[in-house]
Amino acid sequence: MTILSSANERKEKGITRAKETGTTTSITLSERSITGFALIRIFVGYLWFQQLFWKMPPDFVGLYSYIVRESQHTIIPGYGYILQHTFLSGCTSLLTATGCTLYVPLAASVWITELIVAISLMFGLFTRFGAILGSVLAIQLYVGLAYTEWLWTYGMLVLLCLALTAIPAGRRLGFDQWFALRLQSAAHSNRLARFVSWFA
Amino acid sequence: MTHFRRGLFAGLLAGLLLAMLNFVTDGTPGRTLPDALHWFGITIADPTLSRFTGFFLLIILGGIAGIIFGLVQGERDITIGRSLLSGLVLGLVWWLLFSLLLTNIMSHASSPLSLQFGMFLATFPIDLLFGIVLGAIYYQLQGQPAMAEM
Repeated sequence: MTILSSANERKEKGITRAKETGTTTSITLSERSITGFALIRIFVGYLWFQQLFWKMPPDFVGLYSYIVRESQHTIIPGYGYILQHTFLSGCTSLLTATGCTLYVPLAASVWITELIVAISLMFGLFTRFGAILGSVLAIQLYVGLAYTEWLWTYGMLVLLCLALTAIPAGRRLGFDQWFALRLQSAAHSNRLARFVSWFA
Repeated sequence: MTHFRRGLFAGLLAGLLLAMLNFVTDGTPGRTLPDALHWFGITIADPTLSRFTGFFLLIILGGIAGIIFGLVQGERDITIGRSLLSGLVLGLVWWLLFSLLLTNIMSHASSPLSLQFGMFLATFPIDLLFGIVLGAIYYQLQGQPAMAEM
């Protein structure tokens, strides 16, 4: 898939070539489409960003009740056991994180990961990496909390992040517009640049 | 399009984005929009009117920031790297002026530079984002961007 300024010209060429060879037409994103996706990317990043504020450091209190709920309502057998022996290890209360030995470091990891997702998506900085990370977090939320709220709440979050994984939405209104050109030109001679360029 | 008009248009669009981000806050929609009015010591008793006025003030301020951005860049065409970097600097100046100095001065804080982590986190990335988006739009308006392959 390509992003082209002259989308119509490209489309016509693609249709002609497809007619000649009998294959399907190539898909081209116009400037308007990719800019629209860039705006969606910013708002999805902002969604993650806002959710940092109800579980702020240093104690991440707001997260605790959700971890407890996940351990009780997960849809995957064994996931509750994992949570009880990691996040909730040593906890003596269902209401506060009293006695929890690993809660703060693990909750800090979750918070920092969400911050990375938010910054990556809002600023268009290695957007696909941020979207993959967001998908993993959203799948985890779906597994733990899907049946405690409207079933599609976290399902939609997974789908949004997967859509942003598929499309390089950071290449407009974001830093990836700068990174992508440089990484792609370096990709011919550098395997690492070729690998990293996919994330931009 | 001249650099002046390009800057104005980019600033208005980036200001609109900033206002929209302030609208979709947790809690009551647009609850942070009156903050823009407080920077200038304006208080409107009606909360709905206050939010709408804040919304449009942010767009106007964005337009003014865009004009300044355009004037600094001048007539020459700029690269994407320069436009994003200039936008980042503009976002930093915006944050220093509005979210730090004016907010502290108008709320009679102990120091004009006093800052809490929560306040920093809530304002700094968003203000930088405003600047980056302004710079990116300015770049897009000056001509067709280069092709990018997936």
